[in-house]
Amino acid sequence: MVKKFTENLNSLCDAFEMFKASGRSLSVAYENDRLTEIRQGESSGMSIRAVKGGKIGFSYSSKPDEVDAVAGAAIRMAPYGKPYNFSFAPRQKSEHTRPYDARCGELSVEKLVGLGLAVKDAIKSIAPEAMAECSFSGGVSQSRIETSAGQDCSEQESSFGYFVAAKITEEGNFLSTYRYRSSNGQVGEDEILEEAREAARDFVVARKHAPVKAGRYRVLFSPGALSDILMPIAVSINGLNIEKKTSRWVNSLGERLFDERVTLLDDPFHEDGPGGGLYDGEGVCTQRRAIIEKGVLKGFCHTLSTAKACGHEPTGNARRAVSSVPQPGLHNLVMAGGSATREQLLAQAEGGLYIDQMLGTFTSNFLAGQVSGNISLGYAVQGGQRIGRVKNCALNVNTFDLLKSHIVAISGEREWVGGQYLPWVLVEDVAISAR
Amino acid sequence: MKTIDRETTLTTRAALDSRNLKSLLTGLVQKAGADYAEIRLEDSTETALSFMGQNLENVSESHLYGGNVRVLVNGCWGFVTFNSLNELEARVREAAQNARAAARLSKDKSVLAPIEPVVDTVRLDLLADPRQVSIEDKIALFGGYNDRILRRPGVTSSALRYFDRYTRLYYTNSDGTWLDRELMDMGFGASAIATRNGITARGTTSQGGRNNFDVFRNLEHDIDEAASDAVENVGAPVVKGGTYTVICDPHLAGVFVHEAFGHLSEGDNIADDPRMQEVLRLGRKFGEGYLNIYDTGLDVGLRGHLKYDDEGVPTQRTDLIKDGVLVGRLHSRETAGRMGEKPTGNARAISYRFPPIPRMRNTCIGNGPHGKLEDLIKDVKEGVYALDSAGGQTNGELFTFTAGKAFMIRNGKLAERVRDVTIGGNVFDTLRNITGIAGDYHVRDGSGGCGKAGQMPLPVSHGSPHIRIKDVVIGGK
Repeated sequence: MVKKFTENLNSLCDAFEMFKASGRSLSVAYENDRLTEIRQGESSGMSIRAVKGGKIGFSYSSKPDEVDAVAGAAIRMAPYGKPYNFSFAPRQKSEHTRPYDARCGELSVEKLVGLGLAVKDAIKSIAPEAMAECSFSGGVSQSRIETSAGQDCSEQESSFGYFVAAKITEEGNFLSTYRYRSSNGQVGEDEILEEAREAARDFVVARKHAPVKAGRYRVLFSPGALSDILMPIAVSINGLNIEKKTSRWVNSLGERLFDERVTLLDDPFHEDGPGGGLYDGEGVCTQRRAIIEKGVLKGFCHTLSTAKACGHEPTGNARRAVSSVPQPGLHNLVMAGGSATREQLLAQAEGGLYIDQMLGTFTSNFLAGQVSGNISLGYAVQGGQRIGRVKNCALNVNTFDLLKSHIVAISGEREWVGGQYLPWVLVEDVAISAR
Repeated sequence: MKTIDRETTLTTRAALDSRNLKSLLTGLVQKAGADYAEIRLEDSTETALSFMGQNLENVSESHLYGGNVRVLVNGCWGFVTFNSLNELEARVREAAQNARAAARLSKDKSVLAPIEPVVDTVRLDLLADPRQVSIEDKIALFGGYNDRILRRPGVTSSALRYFDRYTRLYYTNSDGTWLDRELMDMGFGASAIATRNGITARGTTSQGGRNNFDVFRNLEHDIDEAASDAVENVGAPVVKGGTYTVICDPHLAGVFVHEAFGHLSEGDNIADDPRMQEVLRLGRKFGEGYLNIYDTGLDVGLRGHLKYDDEGVPTQRTDLIKDGVLVGRLHSRETAGRMGEKPTGNARAISYRFPPIPRMRNTCIGNGPHGKLEDLIKDVKEGVYALDSAGGQTNGELFTFTAGKAFMIRNGKLAERVRDVTIGGNVFDTLRNITGIAGDYHVRDGSGGCGKAGQMPLPVSHGSPHIRIKDVVIGGK
């Protein structure tokens, strides 16, 4: 049936790419100690990029069995679209494998509701005054990409994620300490409950208030906060910003930009990584690639289109939902660990701050390297320990400068933050504004 | 099952508005075996185009089609989404099974505030219909703006986005509500980008609305200003970090009220949290007597306009702070029911893929007694005039947002331009620190939207006059 259709499509347009995806998922959420949502979803969709007269049109539909309508709309849009000055993916087969956990598609309401109750108990056993918040979701999906250039690849993926938090909202003090993880396989209940207890232990420390004055400090960034600090790098290696020359790194491949302890890889095959895949959103085989190696810029993130426009080789970094056109993006960003332990870094942060969560940094001017935002969860460090939460203070750093000349040490331990596997990083001479 | 099969064959796009659909859906919710049941069905068509630099990066036509069933059984929710009407009866059954399974384990019980059932048909009433404008004419209009940005000396690139989305939305619940609605949503955003000496800065402008494509015409002045802002921002120094008196223009003040107070007022933050109820007790003083904050679904033409929310509750103007005192909050039927208050028509879902939760519509600071911008500035010795917004975020108590452009204020007068002005603060302190509200209320829509609980972007509006806030922390060098 599909075969017949693509043959038909070949006769209607000059080139095409068809992306089909379907999946099912189940999620359960608790807020303020209370079960609030059980959501079961089925989704399907297909999109087509069709080339006619040297230009590309795009169309998407979530309605099953609407291939003719989608193809018709894509062809109708093509005369107005972007010039087709690259080629859709040719036939290629990935040599890699990636774990698939079928259990993610077999989760039951009873299991997830019960897990929520256990998380609530775990949090309250350590922080009785906290309210528990948590959510769990799992699912499986299939996708298939076919192109007129001969590619026909399919992939099935599994996903599981959790979020556990201890929170309190009271006069002059809103606090939420949380842990979360996304994975490509089911995460064990023991890990989730331990993370819930960890969030509760953070909560207990953060209940104490520690004063902070504006000034320059040593700062220990948790993996969660480091993720915000790395945003200017992710934006500056994005192929669109290279193509449009809005990245300052257009001509910087091979240049030493950072401290030699900074190494960043994009690893689509990481066994725990939630963001990977054997093929990218255009059917191109993905690669494990260095982005920054020992401080030196090694690679950009490209779609077929941005790679062609820049005269670079494709990198297999097209990221997309079935409803959208591909954009360059990282799969799993993995930062190399250092030689210090977390405890050693905390001891070295004496008199400084431990920053765990930032707020609103996404509004910063990343292309200029700027990362600004409120410190929504930060601690003062004394005697090798976090002694209490600092509030009403903001961070404003330039990542390009911070990771070039301010790094004191990097931890060997790392943690997943969404699709990023990151260490703790201690830096010095960081400006903190405070009231 | 046979009946269902026969009926679903009728629900092609051409026949989606048939009476058969009404009898199918209302029949299903009535026999769902639930204490409460609702079905939402949605069919939307979106035309979108985007430019990046000189290229028309994408032009597309997309269809979103699907629905959901939401049931309440023994106080627990079950929610199932689908893309096909085949086996709809089975989806209803699954939702009820999930709710029952949860109810066996959980002691938490939801209740819904009662409402009068509504049977209504809502048709579009457009001043200018985007569907009557050809794709060629849209490309010519927005491509013209893109060219205009790129012609400005010093501009290195651009990003423009336009979309219009027509939605046919059917909703029925077991209380007897049946709604057949048409909705239109349109948005446009343009960024001019300037890069110099490794520094990149932007200038932006936007427009949007629900009933008039003509708001996108004749924007040359706004486009030229965005282009100039990019060039001037890239040459401006980074603001010196510190504590300042800040004057926000209506757009940024609107983002502030949305982020800082709108989200706090959403009933799901409050309904189950006794401490939060104490913090947000009605009658509490939050600001000076001239501070008025409200959220309204009644402003026809704005992206935040809605006749009904996604639970079939008629929308209204909901006062949140009146004369400085807290008087209301934003409710779904569930949060209103749990708090013994009345629904306010704020239950919204971005699509059938999500259940409705309390969300904003058009959130505003009302006009105040302090004249115009000049009147707010004249007493400020050293401060910052911050305009437009590059976005914002809140965690309830703390917020961060970034201005699109900013100028220093020195000795009561506007002085040099500064860039990268990110404002962080505490919601409660900041509301108390509003020391002036002008009388020049203004609202302008854009192409973005509000995000909450994974639901983004929801079309909302926000408006305000110029406001003056003392003791604001600005991050900077």
